[in-house]
Amino acid sequence: MGYLRKASKTLNQSNCISLLFNFNFNLTPLTSRITHQRFSLTRALFCTQSRQNSTKEKPIIDLSQYPPELVRNFSIIAHVDHGKSTLADRLLELTGTIKKGLGQPQYLDKLQVERERGITVKAQTATMFYKNIINGVDCSDGKEPHNYLLNLIDTPGHVDFSYEVSRSLAACQGVLLVVDAAQGVQAQTVANFYLAFESNLSIIPVINKIDQPTADPDRVKSQLKSMFDLDPSDALLTSAKTGMGLEHVLPAVIERIPPPPGKSDSSLRMLLLDSYFDEYRGVICHVAVVDGALRKGDKISSAATGKSYEALDIGIMHPELTPTGILFTGQVGYVISGMRSTKEARIGDTIYHSRSAMDMEPLPGFKAAKHMVFSGLFPADGSDFELLNHAIEKLTCNDASVSVAKETSTALGLGFRCGFLGLLHMDVFHQRLEQEYGAHIISTVPTVPYIYEYADGSKLEVQNPAALPSNPKQRVVACWEPTVIATIVIPSEYVGAVITLVSERRGEQLEYSFIDSQRVFMKYRLPLREIVIDFYNELKSITSGYASFDYEDSDYQASDLVKLDILLNGQPVDAMATIVHNSKAYRVGRELVEKLKKVIDRQMFEISVQAAIGSKIIARETITAMRKNVLAKCYGGDITRKRKLLEKQKEGKKRMKRVGSVDIPQEAFHELLKVS
Amino acid sequence: MLKSAFTPIYWVLSPKPKSPKISQHFITNTFSNSTPHVRQNSSSKQNLTITPSSAYIHLPFCRKRCHYCDFPIVALGSASTQTHDDPRVINYIQWLCREINATKVEENLDSETPLQTVFFGGGTPSLVPPSMVSSVLETLKMKFGLSESAEISMEMDPGTFDYRKMQDMMLLGVNRVSLGVQAFQEKLLKSCGRAHGLEEVHEAIDIVKKCGVENWSIDLIASLPHQTSDMWEESLRLAIEAQPTHVSVYDLQIEQGTKFGRLYAPGEFPLPSETQSADFYKMASRMLCDASYNHYEISSYCKKGYECRHNFTYWKNKPFYAFGLGSTSFVGGLRFARPRKLNEYMKFVENLENGSVNSSSDDDVNTKDTALDVVMLSLRTARGLDLKRFQESFGSSLVYSLFEVYKPYVESGHMVFLDVQRRAIRIEDINNSLLYDINSERRVAYMRLSDPNGFLLSNELIALAFGVIDSWKDYPSALQEAT
Ligand SMILES: Nc1nc2c(ncn2[C@@H]2O[C@H](COP(=O)(O)OP(=O)(O)OP(=O)(O)O)[C@@H](O)[C@H]2O)c(=O)[nH]1
Ligand SMILES: [Mg+2]
Repeated sequence: MGYLRKASKTLNQSNCISLLFNFNFNLTPLTSRITHQRFSLTRALFCTQSRQNSTKEKPIIDLSQYPPELVRNFSIIAHVDHGKSTLADRLLELTGTIKKGLGQPQYLDKLQVERERGITVKAQTATMFYKNIINGVDCSDGKEPHNYLLNLIDTPGHVDFSYEVSRSLAACQGVLLVVDAAQGVQAQTVANFYLAFESNLSIIPVINKIDQPTADPDRVKSQLKSMFDLDPSDALLTSAKTGMGLEHVLPAVIERIPPPPGKSDSSLRMLLLDSYFDEYRGVICHVAVVDGALRKGDKISSAATGKSYEALDIGIMHPELTPTGILFTGQVGYVISGMRSTKEARIGDTIYHSRSAMDMEPLPGFKAAKHMVFSGLFPADGSDFELLNHAIEKLTCNDASVSVAKETSTALGLGFRCGFLGLLHMDVFHQRLEQEYGAHIISTVPTVPYIYEYADGSKLEVQNPAALPSNPKQRVVACWEPTVIATIVIPSEYVGAVITLVSERRGEQLEYSFIDSQRVFMKYRLPLREIVIDFYNELKSITSGYASFDYEDSDYQASDLVKLDILLNGQPVDAMATIVHNSKAYRVGRELVEKLKKVIDRQMFEISVQAAIGSKIIARETITAMRKNVLAKCYGGDITRKRKLLEKQKEGKKRMKRVGSVDIPQEAFHELLKVS
Repeated sequence: MLKSAFTPIYWVLSPKPKSPKISQHFITNTFSNSTPHVRQNSSSKQNLTITPSSAYIHLPFCRKRCHYCDFPIVALGSASTQTHDDPRVINYIQWLCREINATKVEENLDSETPLQTVFFGGGTPSLVPPSMVSSVLETLKMKFGLSESAEISMEMDPGTFDYRKMQDMMLLGVNRVSLGVQAFQEKLLKSCGRAHGLEEVHEAIDIVKKCGVENWSIDLIASLPHQTSDMWEESLRLAIEAQPTHVSVYDLQIEQGTKFGRLYAPGEFPLPSETQSADFYKMASRMLCDASYNHYEISSYCKKGYECRHNFTYWKNKPFYAFGLGSTSFVGGLRFARPRKLNEYMKFVENLENGSVNSSSDDDVNTKDTALDVVMLSLRTARGLDLKRFQESFGSSLVYSLFEVYKPYVESGHMVFLDVQRRAIRIEDINNSLLYDINSERRVAYMRLSDPNGFLLSNELIALAFGVIDSWKDYPSALQEAT
């Protein structure tokens, strides 16, 4: 019971937080809010088309047979790797939506990054049809067993992408809360439970991976009871690997999750869930029809932009785009309407019939994604700016949770300052830029957004340390840094080590309790910058991988921050500036300077590498001058060879970034990322 | 006025119409009336009118392969000092002469230029019997003419010739000897796989002097494995004591595929460290200059007036013929490398004879490539880059960019800017815009690498100029403007 109180406490708290969000995202550029779109991949497109062709012979699906009572919309949520995507595979197979044994495992993880990393990054929707025969109500009534339309959304587990989870939940009435039978409740289990709980969704606990030898479903049941007040008898036991217990999942979905509440006889209102750009078909929007129905050829209007479109193609994801010509109340599907850019398709927007648009009330929409870290992105080769520009434009069409603003650096030239939901998100974005668009990039050290307050009362939000004057004209009266509320779940033997780590990171304990006899649940307030880079790795390494970690953003707190400049031969390198806590400045300064000494090649001059706070030098290293680089013999035929060698050397120089007279190899910037 | 003189220079120059051409100076010192234009797409039909006046002859035979060598050679076996009846040699010389005969004579519009320099390189040319050298020279003479005053150089290794042979070679016209001593330490000679010992070195020096070869060079290699600073000093001292007119100091290059390449990594023991190796270079420069040798090129020193004329052909980017296995010629703007394998070389000669290949070219020559070669080669010399000529060929914007990129290196002591009288321009004056005004008396007329600091980092410094030439985009418009 105590935990339920906790649930409601958190609820209140996070209401406050969301107010805070609202305040904050007024600061973020408008574009970050209006362009939440989905990815598209040519590979995925190929699948789309070929699968579509093969379904052409099938009769068109008649959605009118699925009134809201026969529709269920649910998400699969869980901690990282607890088996959401694998469970989704099984459900898709069980309903014949995909053929068993065909296609890759984790069918819905379509991106190359997802496949390579084995994680889900984008929420994915699939519609299934399911004949419910064991449904007691239907059968005992002596009625025919009904066909149900089930809409499943597989969500990412990693904390960076919890925004995807929140968005997915807006289209659902219930969730499958998947918990690994051996690992039990972990940090993202808690976070995702509360997301569903706050949205008043029906929660079906699914204890998965019961095939594992270390599975202990009873312990998980009691954790669910004590943490979330979930009835142990409600939990389903499954193995997405062996198929054990899967037959109970969909009947439970039908039985325990309410049908969508919309009104079939009202005018059309639909929620824009997601959008992405397809080279051939233009903008494809994913929508949930809340009220009314949408038919092919309908004139529709956006509440946000007021623009009107014609619904040219309508259908469901089954699991690829499958035209149906119509979508009824409570159904989830796609619309292609001739939008030119995903910028017109604002995630969370409400879409009406144009004729009734005037007197309609828009749906609540979503709270905007909050950018936790910012970093500069520059073309690895200065001349590739246009390519990078193009790549970022394209990719943000499909991952609008990234904020983008132009940035100029003296060291790196023209580039972009990008905001990300977290470091994994940043990494994934980089990888996608390289893999999907062939852009080679240099990233600067990620920073969190600080707020500086000056004597004249003015405030400056600093997303880029370089933009902060090193010797400001106005006196700084206060600095504020963002904090997070972190959830850490660990086996109790690691408590000591974890507490040491967290206090090194300037953490403040908020809560400490036991999930069960062996597992501890802790909440901390931590400065965001302290967890951004290497915290999770540290945490995992001191707990032999047993810790789980989640966080949500919280208030700003006053903090003693300083700007740390890096100088090469006395010239500050803007792209290497960082903001650090005063107590750590010396250590970080030393580490940065030592690292740079290792990665910068010797040059014709001696190079001094310094770290400075304002005009005070706090660390210094010297790179001695190169002594000799000469080809002594150079005769007739040899000329060609020597010239090639010199040209290679020149190419090497060209790839370097130049500050003053110092050539900085690109690796220097990559290496700096590793110092926190 | 000052300001406009400063940026960019060609504004000041453009009122005087200058034809944009690849200056013939870079190809030959003789002026020619035709001055073909650089075409917009950075190519030109230049230097087709210039006849090569130098020939390189590759004589690939060695007794054995040295451990550092990756040249195309033919190892005859250590005992082979008498080669007059070796069929491999006889056969090769025949193919060589066939190649010479089959080569197209590059005809000058005005007159035929007889050869001014011939260089027998190898391999070990001194292994070849004088009679065969004679037939090569005869073939050359018949084909291209040979100037009375031609410089005829030959690389000769200790232990491969005696008094008699030296005299025979001289009678044939060989008037410059490049003696491959390499080191004055028995131990080092052995460890780098030389086929001769120290005694033969002294003998060879005696022979050369006794025969009265006026113009001769000692070649030394620095930075050999296990070489100490004392050993290097000794080698330099003994070389100076022998009083050659020329000394070449090569730096050991560890090449892939050689024995050294397999055994050693540059900068790691037993090779000297980078710092040691730099000190060796400086020691050579200091000792030889003290003994009044001019350091006239990165690895060449000579007494006044004894520069190797043949090598200047290379450094001035002038055309030259080349004959024999693996050799590279530069005729009609084309650097043509012959096959490095004997059977492929013979095939090539056959094709040359039946006309199915051509070792020269009349294709367009890329302006950028020429600029790269000119900069690379001239900066290796003490004379440096002649900016007036460079500007005439490539436009003033490129010259201006070179100023900009090299200015900091004048201050750091790696580069020297010289005025018309070849006086170094003081650092304090380096920012004076008059220096860059081509019409000014006090202008920068040459830029060169300093000795020894600039020479030591020549790769770095020349690569900077390459960067400038690489991003040299405005040449079509600059040239257009001039036309
Ligand atoms: N033994 C066993 N392994 C399972 C089971 N379900 C999933 N797995 C494995 O667990 C790993 C993670 O599975 P995913 O389905 O990718 O997990 P996920 O929850 O989607 O992961 P994220 O999307 O990254 O949060 C994979 O190696 C699966 O093969 C199960 O029931 N039993
Ligand atoms: Mg997944």
